[in-house]
Amino acid sequence: MSTSGTKENRSDDTRKAAGEGFAFKALLIGGAGLLLTLLGLLVGDSPRVGLGTLIGLTFWLSIGLGMWFLIMLFHLFDAGWSTVVRRPMEHATTIFPWIGAVFFVLLFFSLFASVDDGIWKWMNEDNTVIVAGETATVEEDVLYHHKSAYLNNAFFFLRTLLYFGIFIGVATILRSASFRQDGDGDGAWTTVCRKWSAAGIILGGLAATFASLDWIMSLEFHWFSTIFGVWFFSGAMRAALAATVIVCLLLVYVGSFRGVFKQSHLYEIGRVSLAFTIFWAYIAFSQYFLIWNANIPEVTYWYVNREYGNWWWVGLALLFCHFFVPFLFLLFYQNKIRPGRMLFISIWILAFHLLDLYFNILPAKHAESGWPYYSFGVSFWDVTAFVGIGGICVWAFVKSYLSQKPIPIRDPRILESLNHHE
Amino acid sequence: MSQEKKYGLIAEFETPGAVMHAAEKVRDEGFKHWDVITPFPVHGMDQAMGLNRSRVPLFTLVGGAIGFFGGMLMIWYMNAYDYPIVVGGKPMFSPMYAFPVSYELTILLAAFGTIIGMFLLNRLPMHYHPAMKHEAVARASDDRFYIIIESTDPRFEVKTATTMLKEIGGQNVTQLED
Repeated sequence: MSTSGTKENRSDDTRKAAGEGFAFKALLIGGAGLLLTLLGLLVGDSPRVGLGTLIGLTFWLSIGLGMWFLIMLFHLFDAGWSTVVRRPMEHATTIFPWIGAVFFVLLFFSLFASVDDGIWKWMNEDNTVIVAGETATVEEDVLYHHKSAYLNNAFFFLRTLLYFGIFIGVATILRSASFRQDGDGDGAWTTVCRKWSAAGIILGGLAATFASLDWIMSLEFHWFSTIFGVWFFSGAMRAALAATVIVCLLLVYVGSFRGVFKQSHLYEIGRVSLAFTIFWAYIAFSQYFLIWNANIPEVTYWYVNREYGNWWWVGLALLFCHFFVPFLFLLFYQNKIRPGRMLFISIWILAFHLLDLYFNILPAKHAESGWPYYSFGVSFWDVTAFVGIGGICVWAFVKSYLSQKPIPIRDPRILESLNHHE
Repeated sequence: MSQEKKYGLIAEFETPGAVMHAAEKVRDEGFKHWDVITPFPVHGMDQAMGLNRSRVPLFTLVGGAIGFFGGMLMIWYMNAYDYPIVVGGKPMFSPMYAFPVSYELTILLAAFGTIIGMFLLNRLPMHYHPAMKHEAVARASDDRFYIIIESTDPRFEVKTATTMLKEIGGQNVTQLED
């Protein structure tokens, strides 16, 4: 007994050491990527690098936010099947403070950038905007003056602080309650989580909606869409579910989820993933359809810009590859229960979620020459920002993962989740 | 024994485990026309009986496809072909504005397809089943589990089937009147 005990401890220790080594590598890569991106902001085409950084930030943040929403939904609905997959999601919410830190660097850069170098045009009164087809400054833009009570630097800064306060605050409460339940097994933690989820789902819904309006929609502040926040939410949920599949299958591969994460869990995630694929299409189409139908130049220009040049193909790729392919793929039962197939479609969805963010963010800025605005393309600085932020997120996840039990072993619903059956 | 045609054999089991293992053996014997009656869903019974996945989704897909393309065709026919009207300077036909209606029709006919497929595949409505004549079968909604092997099964032969049902733990093996 005792020998087998030490043997197990030793393999646990080596596993932990391997995990720490991996986390350290991720941190190094992440730090290097972020430093390079900062260099790019200073020496490169700074608005383009800034937009690329925003794409990377929103990509990784959307995964964390989606998982945070899922955690709260699981608590609110007292879900039984999901207890096992909730734990990796809890680790994933540790990325919020780091995302916030990087975001504020970008925000300060944009606040203090010289004319036309920041990414949010309205932040500097001397920045160039197009008003009724004519080049003008923000100062001369009557539309900006009507929106300036909301869109001004101080209020934007405070709101961003508030959003991250809500994300980090509620996620930390939910996470630490769940971790502490591992120790004392007190069922009261579940009640704590449920109460905070009830508040968090409303606060989080509002925060994520306004965050997407502020950070993404206000890039083109003439344009408005009331469904924009829901678009961001639906994309975040899809990305989170896809990332959950990848993380859980990796944990099966590493060993801690072997025999724990089963076909029935994969099937449930696949079904929710199918539902959110349809939901995303419903929202994305509704936005397009209402603007197409109303046909008002104030808002149609946003889509007209996105039919120009290679953005046309990006739009079609979103329609066919971000909706039709995953939709038809996930309709079939076998595709939802085979790990290889779910891994494939999850990577696919994440890739096109990234493209969706490009589509919404990149054409916002007027390029200096030739094109009216940035064409679709992946720049070197996009990659450094994506890998940099990703590296930090992976490091934060692994660090939290190594410090806790792989599953919430004393959650009241853990047996139900372990024995979950289709 | 009377000469009239029998529906098949019925055997009683006391626990879900017993009926599941018995079902596995019936499956391995190669029987095709047989069924298990339980008071509640028993997880894993589909595999134990060797059942494939339901074919209802196929009906759903066909219903949905008819709804979607039927909706598009209907709107094209009405607005662009039979009685063209310009509305708000929009094209006579565009999948854009036809989409919401086609989408709703997709959902509606997919639901119809599901219901119809479920009825057809379950051969519903079925107002009579020979098992209803069996006195003990009322307990199948309480605390007993049953296996029925139908006489239409190509491998069915009263004597061997009775012996087999007894061997795999079946009690009160009796014949069912049709």
